Amino acid sequence: MSHAQDLPLREQAAGIASGDLKPDELLQATLQRIEERNGPLNAIVATFPEESERMLAEAPEGPLHGVPVVVKDQFQIPWRGPRDGTEREILPPGESGIFRRLRDAGAVVVAVANMHYKGGGSTGAQSAYGPVGNPWNPEHVGGGSSGGPASAVGARMVAGSVGADGGGSIRLPAAYCGVTGIKPTFGAVPVDGNVHGYSPLDALGPFGRDSDDTRLMLEALSATELAPGDATSMRAGIPTYFWDDVDPEIDAACRSVLSAAGWSARDVAIDAEEHVRIATVLHLGIDALPSFPDDVDSPEPLVRAYDRFASLVPAAALVRADRVRAVVRRSLAHLFGDLDLLVCPTVPAPAPPIANPTVRLPSGEHPADRANVRQTGLANISGLPAMNVPVGIHSSGLPMGLQLIGPWGAEARLLDAARHIEQATSREFVDAIPERYL
Amino acid sequence: MDAFEQFARGGMQWLGLDPSDTDVEIMRYIDMVFGPEMKALMEAHMSDWWPENVFDPGRAPSA
Repeated sequence: MSHAQDLPLREQAAGIASGDLKPDELLQATLQRIEERNGPLNAIVATFPEESERMLAEAPEGPLHGVPVVVKDQFQIPWRGPRDGTEREILPPGESGIFRRLRDAGAVVVAVANMHYKGGGSTGAQSAYGPVGNPWNPEHVGGGSSGGPASAVGARMVAGSVGADGGGSIRLPAAYCGVTGIKPTFGAVPVDGNVHGYSPLDALGPFGRDSDDTRLMLEALSATELAPGDATSMRAGIPTYFWDDVDPEIDAACRSVLSAAGWSARDVAIDAEEHVRIATVLHLGIDALPSFPDDVDSPEPLVRAYDRFASLVPAAALVRADRVRAVVRRSLAHLFGDLDLLVCPTVPAPAPPIANPTVRLPSGEHPADRANVRQTGLANISGLPAMNVPVGIHSSGLPMGLQLIGPWGAEARLLDAARHIEQATSREFVDAIPERYL
Repeated sequence: MDAFEQFARGGMQWLGLDPSDTDVEIMRYIDMVFGPEMKALMEAHMSDWWPENVFDPGRAPSA
């Protein structure tokens, strides 16, 4: 072992519990690793050694006792109000739900991570702290909006982090950075102290290097045991609509992994699937308006114009979006009557350059945000749990990911399925490390 | 001034907001990106798409 942060989260926790790993040394090594690796990635916006040392000194025995973790700049912690990727505190310091859960599990918050400005994008290219870079190529985006937490895990600054997902904001950066990330069922993790806690689409969840670490993190965040189970005989649905405009290499990588998994699979269609993206986007834009009334006069032109545009959307559009949501949810509930999960590519193309966050798809060139939310919005408007599983490296040198979507409350099943994929592919993709860190 | 610009400028004025050319330009871009899907949503036949009157995103629909 060259560095304690090259250990998986679970081995860090086990090492501390057995006395083989000293938590104070792990904390210092983690701060040092952040110092060494964060520069080109800009994944971390603040460390606070004194507060982290105090948190460690007061940490209770628990499943994450002494383990350093990172949280997105979207949550209250007692010594820092969340900035949400902006220049100023959006909420005062305090104890968010995720902070309490981490603290009660014995974890140590070692840093706050960068994110897309106000959570409003899937690239992480816009932030008051500068763009989030990708550990596989820092000139490419780390993703958004939880880009910092994903990039920090991908670069092995920490082995676990916490993000939020209102339109794909955990799964998309997880796919871009080659890590595992899960958006649990809506409400599975408490949302108090979350800047975007008003949203019926937003769910909070963890990143890890693989399914076992992610499971451990989610158990702590949800205060729920997620007992492992067998996933050798899953019945997978292939929602073809979400495969039809995807980079061919990603399509092939996802299909190859599914083949390796050996599950039964059949093509499916979801009622009103063609309206999922706009229904998601309408909610993301309009639900935020009452919470940020000053943004219609923001000095930031994009924020101001987006809010003004959202303010002019006819009320009938949101009612229609909700009808879409109802139809989609009923259709999904019906499908899950004889399916265990749905599978589709998490991102339609690998992480684009920070300088030009557009992606090239079979249908042409598109803004990455528009293309990405098409893949991930389904789980947000329906409330379903969904996760990213790394499935290979694109010829561009950037990671690719497969999305697993399960019925409400089926987080353990998704993690079982992810673990099965990891085993079926000899852990090749979850153990991959960017060459710069070898 | 085309129909979109009339809508954008008139709407902002109606809301008591001072519209700038930059606002209109960005809003036009948003409309270009998402407008076709918005139009399809507004034109979709939904008379038999019943709402969820008791909506809980954390659970399967009750009916």
